[in-house]
Amino acid sequence: MKKVNILIMITIVLLIGVISIPVVAADKLPVVIGLQGPITGAYAIEGEMAKQCVEIAASLINEKGGILDGRMIEIRVVDDACQPKAGALAAMKLISQKDVVAAIQTYGSSVTQPGADLYEKFKKINMAYGAGIVELTRKGYKYFFRMCSSVDKQGNFFANKVVPLFNAKKIAIMHDNQSFSAGLAEYTKIGLQSKIDAGEVEIVYYDAINPGESDFAVPLTKLRETNPDIIYFTGYFPEAALVVRQARNIGITCPFIGGDSAINSEFIKIAGLEMAKGCFMTQEPMPSELSYSKSKMFLEAYQAKYGEIPSSPWAVYAGDSLNVIAYAIDETGSTDSDVLVDYLKNKMNNFNGVTGPIGFDERGDRTGTLHTLYVVNDKGELEIYNP
Amino acid sequence: MKVFLEQLLNGLTTGSFYALIALGYSMVYGVMKLINFAHGDLFTLGSYLGYTILVLGTAYTTSYLGLWGGMVVTMLIVATCLALVGTLLERIAYRPIYSSGRLPLVVSALGASIFLENSIMVIWGARPQAYISEVIPAKILNIAGLRISIIQIIILILSFILMSILYYVVQKTTFGAAIRACAIDRNTAALMGINIGTIIFFVFAVGPALGGMAGVLVGMYYRKITFIMGWNYGLKAFTATILGGIGNIPGAMLGGLLLGVLEMLGSVYISTAFKDVFVFLILILVLIFRPTGILGEKVAEKV
Repeated sequence: MKKVNILIMITIVLLIGVISIPVVAADKLPVVIGLQGPITGAYAIEGEMAKQCVEIAASLINEKGGILDGRMIEIRVVDDACQPKAGALAAMKLISQKDVVAAIQTYGSSVTQPGADLYEKFKKINMAYGAGIVELTRKGYKYFFRMCSSVDKQGNFFANKVVPLFNAKKIAIMHDNQSFSAGLAEYTKIGLQSKIDAGEVEIVYYDAINPGESDFAVPLTKLRETNPDIIYFTGYFPEAALVVRQARNIGITCPFIGGDSAINSEFIKIAGLEMAKGCFMTQEPMPSELSYSKSKMFLEAYQAKYGEIPSSPWAVYAGDSLNVIAYAIDETGSTDSDVLVDYLKNKMNNFNGVTGPIGFDERGDRTGTLHTLYVVNDKGELEIYNP
Repeated sequence: MKVFLEQLLNGLTTGSFYALIALGYSMVYGVMKLINFAHGDLFTLGSYLGYTILVLGTAYTTSYLGLWGGMVVTMLIVATCLALVGTLLERIAYRPIYSSGRLPLVVSALGASIFLENSIMVIWGARPQAYISEVIPAKILNIAGLRISIIQIIILILSFILMSILYYVVQKTTFGAAIRACAIDRNTAALMGINIGTIIFFVFAVGPALGGMAGVLVGMYYRKITFIMGWNYGLKAFTATILGGIGNIPGAMLGGLLLGVLEMLGSVYISTAFKDVFVFLILILVLIFRPTGILGEKVAEKV
C-alpha cells in the first residue's frame, strides 16, 4: 500500500513538474535592452524613428518566442535630447538599472562619446547606431561597437567617387564644428590630399557655421566669392536646409552635396521642394534600397505599424543593433558583457541583419558597408543618382 | 562693395527683428523696472501661432485671402493673441508679487519663460517646424546686381511702419507722454493723476504683440522655427535694448538695427565664428563705458 502511495506521489510530482514548465517559462524575466536616443530636441525625429525600429525588431523576435528559451525582449528608452551632457545622464540612467544587459547608443558623435566612456567604465555593451567620428573606435574601448560606418570611409567616397563624377576642380567644404561634421570634413580633406598635391583639385573654401543658428548669409557670401564647382556640407539637416535655401537666394547655383546627416524628410520640408530637389547626399544605403530577405520582413512590419518606411538609415541601424545583440545573447546563452564582447568580435561570422551581413572587427567597427550618392528627385524622394 | 551692401541689408533685416523684440523689453522695463525674460518666448509663441494659422490652415488662410491677405490677417490675429497672452502673463506671473520687490519679479519672469518654452514644446512638438513655400512670397528681385528677396523688403517696410506708429504714439500723443512719465518716475506720475493700470496694460499688450509679429516675420524669412529659438533672440534683443538705452523706446529701435548691422559686418569682415562674441562684447563695452546706452539719459539717483 505504501509503495503504491509513493508511486502515486512521484507521478503527481512529475506531472506537476511537466505542467508547470510552460508556466515558469512565461514567468521568465524579460531580457532588457536599453535605447539611448534623442527623443526630444532638434534631432527628435531620429530618436523617434530609432525607437520605432528597435520596437519593431524586438516584436519580430518576441513573436517567434523570444530568446534564451522563451525570454521576451523588453526595450527601455532614455532620452538624451542629442546633447552631450544629457547623454552622460541618460547613459547613467541605463547603467544604474541592473537588469539592462546592453545599450543601443545614440544619434550624434558628440553625444555618443560621453556615454561610451561611462558604459566602458561599468562594463556594459553599447552599440552606436549613428556616430560616425573615427576616433570613437580608436580609443581602445572594449565594450563599444559601431553599427554604422565611420566618416573616413565616407570622406574617401566623396574624394574618390563624387569629385570625379562632377568633374569638380574647386571644392567648398562647410561643416558645423561638431565632432561628426568636423570629422567628416577633415577626413574628406585627407581623402582629397593626393589630388590636391597633384594639382587636380583645390579646396577653395573650408570653414564652419554655428549649429543652431538660422542666418548663414555671411559664410555663404564668403563661399560665393570663391566660386566653387561643388559644395560639400557635412553637418546636419536643420542647418543644411537653411544653407541650401540661403545659398540659392544669394545666387550660388553649383551642386549641393550633403553628408549622410544632411538630407532627410525634414530637410525637404524646411528647404521646400523647389530648393531641395537636385540636392545630393553621400549616404549609406537608405532603408528603401535594402533588399536582403530580413529587410523585407522588417520594413513590411514597420510600414504596417507606422504607415511608411523609416526615412533615415540610422534608425534601421538601431533596429539591427538590437537584432545582433539579441542574436549574440541567444547564441552564447549568456547576458554577461565579456562573453558577448568575445562572441561579437571573434566568433560571430556574418550574421544576416536587416542592413545586410554584420560582423565586427577587433576595434568594434562594423566590417563592410558601402556608400552611394543619392539625389532628391522631383517628388521629394531620395533616389540613387545615375547620371 | 556688393558684399558690403548685401550684408548691410541682411544686417538691417535681422536688426529689425531685434528692434521689434527689443521694444517689448524696453517698454516693460521703462514702466515696471522689470526685465521680462519671458518676452523671448512670447516671440516664439507668435512664430508658432503664425505657423499654425498659415501652414496648418493653408487651405483656409491663403486660399481665401490670397498670399498677401493671408499674411496681413495672420499678423493681426497673432498680434491680438499675443497681446492677450501678454496681459494674462502680467496678471498671473507679475501682478500678485509686485509688492515683494524687483528680484522676485525677475525670478517669476524666468519661471514664466521656462513654462512658455516647454508649453510650446508640448503643444507643437520638439521637432523644428517649417513655414512652407506656399505661404511665403518667394520672389527675388535683382537690383543693380544685388539680390534682394521680396520678404526682406516686406520685413523692412513692415517693421518701419510698426516702429513709426509706436514712435508717434509714444513721443507725440498725451498717452505717450503718460508712458514716458511713468518710465521716469512711476510714483510721481501716479500722483499726477496718470492711471498706472492702463499704462501697464498697454505695455504688456503692445510689447508682446510686436514680438509676436517679429516671430511671424522670422518664420517667413528663415522658415525654420524651433521652440528654443526665443532664448537666443531674446538675449540679443536684450543687448539691443541696453545698447540703445533701456527704458527708452526710440533707443530700442536704434539699438536693434545697429546691433543687427554690427553683427553682420563684424562677422563678414572679422570672423564668422565670433558672430555672437561681437554681440555680447558690445553688451559688455556698453555696460562699462556708457551704462545708460546711446539714447538713455542719466537720471539723478534719488537719495
